[in-house]
Amino acid sequence: MQQSFFDFIQQQSGKLLEQTLQHIGLTFISLLIAVLAGVPLGILITRKRGWAAPVLGVAGVLQTVPSIALLGFMIPLLGIGPQPAIVALFLYGLLPIIRNTYTGIKEVDPAVTAAATGMGMSRRQLLYKIQLPLAMPVLLAGIRTATVINVGVATLAAYIAAGGLGEFIFGGIALNNTHMILAGAIPAALLAILFDGLLSLLQRIQLRKARTTLYVLPLLLLLLSSFYLLPAAAGGPLLAGFTPEFMGRQDGYLGLKSVYGLRLRTVVINDMIMYKAAYEKKLDVISGSSTDGRVKAFDLVVLDDDKHIFPPYYAAPIVRQATLDKYPELAPALNRLSGTINDSIMTELNYRVDYLKQDPAAVAKDFLVSKGLWQPPRSGAKGVVRIGSKIFGDGYILANMYKMLVEGYTELRAVTRTGLGGTKICFDALVNDQIDLYPEYTGTGLLVILQEPRPVIDSLIGDPQQVYAHVQRAFATRYGIRWLPPIGFNNTYALMMRKQQASELHIKSISDLVNATRAQR
Amino acid sequence: MIKLEHVYKSFNKQHQPAVADVSFEVHPGETLVLLGTSGSGKTTTLRMINRLLTPDSGQIYVNGQAVAEQQPETLRRGIGYVLQDNGLFPHYTVAENIGVVPALLQWDKARIADRTTVLMEKLHLPPGQYRDAYPAQLSGGQQQRVGLARALAADPPVLLMDEPFGALDPVTRASVRREFQALDELQNKTVVMVTHDVQEAFELGTRIGLMDNGRLQQLGTPQELLFAPANDFVRAFFREHHLLLELKALTLADIRPYLPPTAEDDNYQAHVLPGTTSCWDALQQSMNTEGVLSVDFSTTVFTMDSKSLMTALVSRKNEVGHKK
Repeated sequence: MQQSFFDFIQQQSGKLLEQTLQHIGLTFISLLIAVLAGVPLGILITRKRGWAAPVLGVAGVLQTVPSIALLGFMIPLLGIGPQPAIVALFLYGLLPIIRNTYTGIKEVDPAVTAAATGMGMSRRQLLYKIQLPLAMPVLLAGIRTATVINVGVATLAAYIAAGGLGEFIFGGIALNNTHMILAGAIPAALLAILFDGLLSLLQRIQLRKARTTLYVLPLLLLLLSSFYLLPAAAGGPLLAGFTPEFMGRQDGYLGLKSVYGLRLRTVVINDMIMYKAAYEKKLDVISGSSTDGRVKAFDLVVLDDDKHIFPPYYAAPIVRQATLDKYPELAPALNRLSGTINDSIMTELNYRVDYLKQDPAAVAKDFLVSKGLWQPPRSGAKGVVRIGSKIFGDGYILANMYKMLVEGYTELRAVTRTGLGGTKICFDALVNDQIDLYPEYTGTGLLVILQEPRPVIDSLIGDPQQVYAHVQRAFATRYGIRWLPPIGFNNTYALMMRKQQASELHIKSISDLVNATRAQR
Repeated sequence: MIKLEHVYKSFNKQHQPAVADVSFEVHPGETLVLLGTSGSGKTTTLRMINRLLTPDSGQIYVNGQAVAEQQPETLRRGIGYVLQDNGLFPHYTVAENIGVVPALLQWDKARIADRTTVLMEKLHLPPGQYRDAYPAQLSGGQQQRVGLARALAADPPVLLMDEPFGALDPVTRASVRREFQALDELQNKTVVMVTHDVQEAFELGTRIGLMDNGRLQQLGTPQELLFAPANDFVRAFFREHHLLLELKALTLADIRPYLPPTAEDDNYQAHVLPGTTSCWDALQQSMNTEGVLSVDFSTTVFTMDSKSLMTALVSRKNEVGHKK
């Protein structure tokens, strides 16, 4: 049943208000700092000949750095949370403010400044009585531009745990939930329009009152900035960082709350920087992918999902039945890998490819050799098998292993088609006879490809065996595609912590974590 | 009151100086007009007096004190300054504009308001109507009058005027100029005025300094420049408007010796002109009196027509010419 947009807003009104206030706060704290730094800088470069070009140049270059990259640069310096977001927003707001201050003052009629000086005004009096009031409309236009930019860029703050309306927007995108996207995007757009309108009113005030603006504006900025401090909620000592997607999923944070009763202080964060943030002790608990190479790279430990809320994502090769019939020797060759790779081995392999940047083919061969499975290629004269894979880690390595197994144990030749976008592209290629096989996950098969109704999913999801049996059966009848036995590892959602902290707190499973947080309260 | 000694100024060392070896003195109550084409150095000279520019060498004194030794702000607050493009502050009302210097001098509010009202009345800007108007709401002539009032507000002994009527159309210009001449505020003020308008220089200047290429070509009364030019440049400069300038430079008293003896008469007209009236003004006056004029030479009163005036002018010229 479709939930209406207004139902969503009503349900989430508390969160929406908090995010909106955070958003306003982030925008205006950074704007305030940008005004405090940008206006004096703009004034300075009107006085020092030759300074204008370099200062405006540097501010211009800052403006062209992609926002997400700029946020990324901030992490090593300032960690995660509001500080790096504010600094990044401040840098974005700087250029329009410096430039418009400079232009505004430069555009004051030289006869007016000459008269003011000739009347006996000091430089300070000239600045405050003449130049700033007359530059005010242009200066305000700069602040307007900076405000609108900052309202937009502040959505990205959600990637580095600084909150704001980006939490809804990115959560909604990840979950394909339009209501959630709109619940973030509409208020963000309204804020931009609202502040732009308010500032344009200020701009249109009679010239005479321009002098008043000089004092009102900083106060107004200060007031709006303080919004950010309001929702600074206190919580338990452990801080969790979850991706927007994880925050909104039943098999994510919602399940953690309802099934485990987990209560944690949480922030929303982008998965690209989440692992590193955990490693740098900015976060204590994160939601990750259990076989991700960074688990090893950053010395994290995966907590056992002892109540099975995360669906099983066991990897197994799926093969066209027609190909299996044509080459009966193919299945036994592929099945040699079955049961050989558990989670930690897969993590290790991913670590070598993703983090140590080793060649996937070399990593695959090393592994097969170590297991005594590697054999030199045979003739390859009987025919060609096309092996596909998705674009990320697991896929590359597995495809390479299968190629070696096929060529070592049969007279077939194997070609790999790695880097096939996402699930949909891979699966369509398989169904349309563009490839013969690729490694897939049971959970993906159930949730993404079959898209079974909710009750069916709920009845299956706790039991990996049942999920496997179901997808095997359904794929065979619906698509003529066979699921071979699982490889062994389960690439699912997982909560993870730093190894050291987990052992200090004696946490091995999610239940342990729940107990630990209760004990500390 | 104002004294310049061998003042030099150049903006670009490669080029010839903007002002070279300029020296002059302006006495209290006197109006010195610096006349010249654009680029002749007259505005540069003016701007060095209130230290908007600093001379490369030479000394400038105001009130007997070297300007270089005075605090620039203090110096400027004691000098009225009028600019061509009026330079009014667009975000200040007329009253606020006029009160700028008194406010800088920290006069109390009531005194500033009184002074503003007085000046606005004298300059024909009804305070009730214009006090709270903004410069953009005024005509060009009104704006220039506000500029003048602003310069006079603190009653400075010295007034510097940079093309004060330059931006006005000819009709407005003539009327503002007349008001300016009639202004009692200007009595006993030492004025240095820059213009490129020859007629204006002759009408307003006690003495005229003609500048070219940064140098003072000749400094003297209008008559001296006209009838005893120091060099070819000075002569050529006035050639085009010579007759007009003569009429403006010469007073009726100047041509009295050349008037026909019959002119002495007791049947004078109701409207009597003083002897200090310029010939030009006398001729204009005669348009309204069917060519008949009465002139009060303090001892006697002459009555004459415009024709005899012109005749006297010509015979004076011939005689002066023969003397040379």
